[in-house]
Amino acid sequence: MHQINVGEDLRDRNREIAAENREMLHRHGVFSLNIMSAPGAGKTSLLVKSIPLLKDKYRIGVIEGDLQTTRDAERVGALGIEVHQIQTGGVCHLDAAMVHSALHQLDLDSMDILLIENVGNLVCPAEFDLGVDARVMLLSITEGDDKPKKYPLMFSESRLLILNKVDLIEMVEFDIAKARREASDINHHIEIIELSCRSGAGIEDWTGWIEKLYTESRIV
Amino acid sequence: MHEVSVMHNLLEIVTATADREGAGTIDVIHLRIGEMAGINFESLEFAFEILSKGTRAEGGRLECDRVALMGKCSACSSEFHPEDLVFRCPECGSGGVEIIAGREMEVDYILLDEEGS
Repeated sequence: MHQINVGEDLRDRNREIAAENREMLHRHGVFSLNIMSAPGAGKTSLLVKSIPLLKDKYRIGVIEGDLQTTRDAERVGALGIEVHQIQTGGVCHLDAAMVHSALHQLDLDSMDILLIENVGNLVCPAEFDLGVDARVMLLSITEGDDKPKKYPLMFSESRLLILNKVDLIEMVEFDIAKARREASDINHHIEIIELSCRSGAGIEDWTGWIEKLYTESRIV
Repeated sequence: MHEVSVMHNLLEIVTATADREGAGTIDVIHLRIGEMAGINFESLEFAFEILSKGTRAEGGRLECDRVALMGKCSACSSEFHPEDLVFRCPECGSGGVEIIAGREMEVDYILLDEEGS
C-alpha cells in the first residue's frame, strides 16, 4: 500500500473552462449574468418582464438552463431575441462546459448582454462558476426569510439579491429587514433590490442595475 | 444533487493518478471537504458506490476530513471562524471578509494497492 498525494480540487476543471468562457465573452464584448434561484422564484418571469425594457437599447441573448423541457426558452423566445436552450438531462445545475458549447452556437458578435438562467436550485449552481461577469440571486418572499442562513453559499457568491413577489408581503410571513440583514451578514458587498414581476414594481431598478454594470464593463 | 457529476470528476482524477503510478487498485480516496462547500459526503459515498464499478476504485473506501470555515478580515488581517454565518470581523467590526478556508472540495491523497490487478 502506498500513498500518492493528489491535492486537486474537484472544481478545477470547471474553473478552467469558466476562465475560457470569460475570456471568450470579453473578447466579443459581451457582458454576462448568471441568474440563480430555487424553482418557481420567478427567474423566467423576471426575464420576460425586463427584456422588453432593454432590447431596444441593447442586443440581448439568453441561455436557458432546464432539466427537461423547453418551456422557459419558448416564453423568452417569444420576445424576439436570441435564445439558446440547454437541457441538462437531469443535472441540477449548469456548469462551465455546458455554457461553453452554448457560447459556440450563439452569435456573440451581435450581442451586448447575455443573460443565463440557471436550473432552479439553491445549492449546486453556487458551486459552479460559468465565467460570467456577475451572479444574481433571486429569492421570492413566499420561500421564507430563513434562506440566507440555510443556503449561505448562494448569498456569498452573488453580487445582487433580488427579493421577488413583494406584492404578496401582506399574505406571507416574511421579514424583509431580517432577510436583508442576514444576507448582508454573509456577504457585506451584496446589493439588494425588491421587486414584483407580477405588478412590475421595481423592475426598472433591476434593468437600471444591469445598465449600470454594463456601462462599467465598457469603461474597464 | 450534484454529487454525481462531482463524483465523475473525482474518479477521473484518481484513476488518472493511479494510471500514472502504474498501480493496481485504489483502496482509499481521502478527501478534504470544507464546512461551507455545497456538498454532502453521504451522497458522495452513494455516488461513489455506483460510479466506481468497473474502475480501479471499485471496492475502495472514501474518507473525508472536514475543514472548518475561516475568514480573514481585509481591514485588520485577523483570522476567525464566522460564528452563525456572520462574516464580520470580531476584532475591528469590518464586513470585508475573505473566506480563506471552508470551501474545499478536494482529493487530498489516495492509497494504492500495488498487489492488486
